[in-house]
Amino acid sequence: MSVLEGKELRIVGFLCNWCSYGGADTAGVGRMSQPTDLRIIRLPCSGRINPLFIVKTLLSGADGVLVSGCHPRDCHYAEGNFYARRRLEVLKRFLPIVGIEPARFEYTWVSASEGQRWQKVVSTFTDQIHGLGKAPRLTPSAEALAAASAL
Amino acid sequence: MVMSGYLKQEDLAAWIDAISADHEVLAPQAQGNSVVFAPYVKGASLVFDRDATTSPKRSVFPQSEPLMNYTYKKDPEDLGKVDLELVEAPAPKPTVVVGSRPCGARGFLAFDRVYYGKTVTDVPYLRHRQNTAFITMACSEPETTCFCHWVGSGPDDAEGSDVLLTPVAGGYFAKAVTEKGEALLAKATVSSDAGKEDEAKAVVQKCKDALGESPDLSTAPARLLERFDDMTFWEAMASKCISCGACTYLCPTCYCFTITDEICGSGGSRIRSWDNCMSFQFTLEASGHNPRPTKAHRLKNRVGHKFSYYPTIHDGNISCCGCGRCIKSCPVSVDIREIVLSAMEPSQEAAND
Amino acid sequence: MSTVFDLQAKIKELLPDLDCVIGWKQGYDPLHATPHFMRTEADVDSFIFNPLCVHNPATYLPSLKGKKVGIVVKGCDSRSVIELLQENLINRDDVVIFGLPCSGVVDISKINSAIEKKGLNPGRIESVEADDKTVRIAIDGQKIELAVADVAAPKCTVCRYHNAIESDHFFGDPLPATVENDEYADVAAIESMALADRFAMWNKEMERCIRCYACRNACPMCVCRDHCVAQSRDPHWLTQEDAISEKLFFQMIHAFHLAGRCTECGECQRACPVNIPILTFKRKINKELKELFDYTAGVDLEAKPPLLAFKVEEDNINERGW
Repeated sequence: MSVLEGKELRIVGFLCNWCSYGGADTAGVGRMSQPTDLRIIRLPCSGRINPLFIVKTLLSGADGVLVSGCHPRDCHYAEGNFYARRRLEVLKRFLPIVGIEPARFEYTWVSASEGQRWQKVVSTFTDQIHGLGKAPRLTPSAEALAAASAL
Repeated sequence: MVMSGYLKQEDLAAWIDAISADHEVLAPQAQGNSVVFAPYVKGASLVFDRDATTSPKRSVFPQSEPLMNYTYKKDPEDLGKVDLELVEAPAPKPTVVVGSRPCGARGFLAFDRVYYGKTVTDVPYLRHRQNTAFITMACSEPETTCFCHWVGSGPDDAEGSDVLLTPVAGGYFAKAVTEKGEALLAKATVSSDAGKEDEAKAVVQKCKDALGESPDLSTAPARLLERFDDMTFWEAMASKCISCGACTYLCPTCYCFTITDEICGSGGSRIRSWDNCMSFQFTLEASGHNPRPTKAHRLKNRVGHKFSYYPTIHDGNISCCGCGRCIKSCPVSVDIREIVLSAMEPSQEAAND
Repeated sequence: MSTVFDLQAKIKELLPDLDCVIGWKQGYDPLHATPHFMRTEADVDSFIFNPLCVHNPATYLPSLKGKKVGIVVKGCDSRSVIELLQENLINRDDVVIFGLPCSGVVDISKINSAIEKKGLNPGRIESVEADDKTVRIAIDGQKIELAVADVAAPKCTVCRYHNAIESDHFFGDPLPATVENDEYADVAAIESMALADRFAMWNKEMERCIRCYACRNACPMCVCRDHCVAQSRDPHWLTQEDAISEKLFFQMIHAFHLAGRCTECGECQRACPVNIPILTFKRKINKELKELFDYTAGVDLEAKPPLLAFKVEEDNINERGW
């Protein structure tokens, strides 16, 4: 069992290949210390991120999801992040109706040169998720469970 | 042993509690504006005065159930070698369904002929079937969607049930139908009251009278088969169908399933879940060809299966219990009775001959 | 009812050039109307229009693309037609739109509840008379009179588009709007609950979902039809398990695929056989889209749905500066 078992939460990051993944790399090369809760999934562009990736991640047990792409106007594909910005904003506003804490999902922009900014983003988001604790899970109702355990 | 008797309304809850001590009990409960068969816990309020929105099908044929679970395990000595560890699904718990209508309990007879018949024994089905008993509520009044008498049943049909309750003044007239039912009824506080039996008969008779005459469906299997290639007819019948699965999933006699492997990481489950012949994927072949490409083909199958193909191979038994859920809960009110009757009318081609 | 009479006359006049005209007729009992595909003059005679005509006939249009069809629409239905036209899912030249004014349709489940409250069984309906204001029901020898306003579908209580917005032939007198602005009171009611309670509520609501996908198939804007991600094995978005997470996930997919497209006709919720209040999800997204982009779906043929567009500097998106 990992020594971090129980201390880490499950945080998933969706990063664009050109800016934010590079930014995370820069932070690593610069040996900047970062929390270790985040697991990164690299995508070609923040515009590739289907909001359903995030919903699926959250419903499958992640405690937090972070999306990071190129700064607006800096997209490698010219306008991918402009579309992403609208989708992600709508998603962030949608989550509370389901009962998901909106702070479990953040999106931001980090460029390849911004190692320090990446360190700050990861630390701030990880602290934010630790502040919220483990995410609630969808489970069969109390009645169904009680009936099952009665046997 | 008490074979029948009068069960007072106030003793009903105690009886169900007694049964739930060593059985899982599924009983109709209000959720939102619907009534669904849900696990009973002590004190839950049950809805007996109208038929449930969902059928009791899930008691014996769950919406989805694992057949087995498996894990791929790497051999630490030889990393190229992978072992597969299989775990069989646990045996189902003994279950009692309380408060389904005769049609709902009778629905499983259609399953039995297929899954526990002359040629095939479906073990997961059989394990549930043998573990499940039905305490059924006879009907005192029919709804506009009821047509159990069309398919050879009726408001007090005890076939498929273990105990039959008939609502009478102040409670129920309870009658054990099977040995299982006798054991269940033995847990109840019932008194012998001859007057109640007659009262129960009168309640059922009133319901039968209200149902009225039923049409003769004996020509339906042949007529539906004759209509098989009449796509103009089926397209007209299917125009308003939206091809969802509400009818099949609510139907007490629809028994089709699909089997899928749901894998996550190095483990997974092989699960069996309800399938739906209204869906495009139902007959979609691996080549991409689909023998039932349109909703008209699919609706033809649904009606034909129940009123023609099934009775042809199963001694004339119609694979429909007449509960009317497919009509009542259809978002666009497709009426299977209307389709069968229209199919039985002389067709245009026949008139021209 | 000269409106219906005029409409029937017009349909009969145009029917020879059309594959069919979609409207409504009485269904299996007097309380339930059903979508009606009129192909002959006799079919046109059984056409009805009253507050029981709850269905949105626009749902059928994408599957009839390429055929010349007529469609009878209420205000809300016409919004779906506009949205379909906007997205080029149907051709304007192929559709003849017969528009009507509508002062509201009923919510059958509300009528059922009202009948049950009187100790009667809604399955025992004998006869029904319905006009703009009142529904009179005879049941088990008793008479029940319900005001349409009391049993109106939720969408009708916030309706701003009583008259068909787009039509080739309009019948009857246009009605004035009764609501200035939709305040999204239903969404606000849920948002006044604690997050944990909302989560628990959906957990409970979704448990009874039978995954029949009536919500999807009744939706006029759900145009993937036979190729929905819900049943696709590759990509494998959803498992076949009877799990609440899968059911809720599908509803979130559905809502998101409708972002900026949903015209709130409410067919998803009406079609649900187990009455799960799933329109709430779409209404929530529409509320946010209104705030963010001042956009309402299905009212302007020329408009571009907001998630298919962007501005370099967004007016209302506050980008978090960390």
